[in-house]
Amino acid sequence: MRAIFLPGVVTGVAIAIVCSCLSVLVVLKRLSFIGQGVSHAAFGGMGVAAVIDLALLNAGLASGLPALAQLGIVLLFCMVAALAIAGLSERRGESADTVIGIVLVASMTLGALLLHVTFQHRGTGGPSWESILFGSLMGLAWHDTLIACMASLGVLGTLWAVRRPMLFWAFDEQAAPAFGVSDRAMKVTLMILLCLAIVTSMKLAGVVLATAILVLPGATALRLSDRLHAVLAISIFVGVLGVLGGLVMSFELDWPPGPGIVAAQTTLYAIARVANAMTARRRLTTSPG
Amino acid sequence: MPALDPNLPLTHAALAVECHGLTFRYARTSAGVADDGPALKNITLSVRVGERLGILGPNGGGKSTLVKLILGLLPCQLGDLSVFGLSPRDARKQGLIGYVPQRVESELAFPLSVRQVVAMSAERGLMPWTRIDRARQAAIESAIDVVGLSSVADRAIGKLSGGQLQRAMIARALAGGPRILFLDEPTVGIDVGGQQRFADLLDSLHKKLGLTIVIVSHDIRVIAAGCDRVACLSRTLHFHDTPQGLTPRVLAEVFRHDVAGIFGDVHVAAHVAGSCPPGCAVDGTNDAGADGVAGPITTDFGPPPSGSVAARAARLWKGQTP
Repeated sequence: MRAIFLPGVVTGVAIAIVCSCLSVLVVLKRLSFIGQGVSHAAFGGMGVAAVIDLALLNAGLASGLPALAQLGIVLLFCMVAALAIAGLSERRGESADTVIGIVLVASMTLGALLLHVTFQHRGTGGPSWESILFGSLMGLAWHDTLIACMASLGVLGTLWAVRRPMLFWAFDEQAAPAFGVSDRAMKVTLMILLCLAIVTSMKLAGVVLATAILVLPGATALRLSDRLHAVLAISIFVGVLGVLGGLVMSFELDWPPGPGIVAAQTTLYAIARVANAMTARRRLTTSPG
Repeated sequence: MPALDPNLPLTHAALAVECHGLTFRYARTSAGVADDGPALKNITLSVRVGERLGILGPNGGGKSTLVKLILGLLPCQLGDLSVFGLSPRDARKQGLIGYVPQRVESELAFPLSVRQVVAMSAERGLMPWTRIDRARQAAIESAIDVVGLSSVADRAIGKLSGGQLQRAMIARALAGGPRILFLDEPTVGIDVGGQQRFADLLDSLHKKLGLTIVIVSHDIRVIAAGCDRVACLSRTLHFHDTPQGLTPRVLAEVFRHDVAGIFGDVHVAAHVAGSCPPGCAVDGTNDAGADGVAGPITTDFGPPPSGSVAARAARLWKGQTP
């Protein structure tokens, strides 16, 4: 039991920290829908990876596609989708939400078809629809935890290294180039970091709910403070608490972990909103005049 | 700083910006879009060191394109352009240029204090592991102080008024230690009192720091009240001289619009010419307000005005009778 639960907890905490830091940027830059598009693109990537895995098994390679290679394919798919979203909405005069909507459904359709074909040929044994869409604790092993921790460290390290130009760009995208901050470089960097975070968190939270942990911690923290360091600290606290709470729920109630994590983080967000509203009301009633 | 004599001969060392025969045309982004001609055509213009230049023109007249070229954000296609004797790109990289945008696009609920926003430009070029040094810290504090925001330096940026936010943006530009400051439509969205305080601030910056200042605006009142020279731009350069030389005829030519309503005793009915860029307007920031009417210029001036257009616009801006 502990062998199943512990890798999930360590992976969850690593993912929660990295996603919570990114979620402040995601919320402030209003990138939630892009995150949704990219995470759904991962479904298409999983379909492609599953087909390659099946082809390798049929070719007589007993181990199939290694886990890291699968992750690499999904990551590549997400990055292509993210860059397609950015490129198409910039150059062709199409609005970003239309492009995201198209990429999202196209990837989901491709993923559904390829996974359907794979399930038909393979029968039982591979990951279930439910675990792909909503995450699974059962599929997590220590090597997954290692990959998640390394990816998280990579994202956090990059974020720390580019924090100054990234913050400038995030705050004032229009003026940033005049101060030597490349708009395109920042956009592409953030997209790559988002893809990495989404792909890393997918196994735990699932394709459908991976973006939730990239939105809820930041949205909650921004309700509670207007200081950058406090916002980051609250966001990490909410992210980690939500993930741990969700995992406990998943373990105790035999739920997939994704819905448990999102339920816990949504509850924390609702509490923050209520606290925020009560503070505002108190301020209104105690202010003179 | 002594007032500049516009009749002084220009030398290369005395020029902050020098452009000669500048022409720029945007690439067509997609098929089916009509070629609208060059955004700027044969612009020859100079800004002296320590001068306050106003770039006046209608929306779509090429003001922003010119600024982007000077900032090195667009490539120089045809003609010569230098900033303090350097290419615009090098001048920008060396931090010689400060820029104040029209407005901050981002959500103002950004969890940053005024000091953190001002520090953004001073932190340029620092390695990720390098902490901000004393000299840069002093530049940040000095910039906050010079725009009069010391008392709110720790306040969240989203809690500032429109005028204070603009001062914070000016402080951010100053903290990088520029020698020339560009202000893009600086008074849009600011009330009359705020506009007056803004004019006073620019005046004090010019006197205290000896900065070269370029104000880009479609509002003649802003430019007339605080500039040594005016460049009127509507794809080509129509006028480049002291504000005293601005006449209703020049304005009618540039704006292709009846400006009678602005100056009371001047009646200008300009019916304009085919070259009017789409969406040109005498005020407002919305390009959708097309004022151009095809046809030759027929300008009908009323009784002779007292004083130049610029002088009356400046008086109007300061709340006096034009």
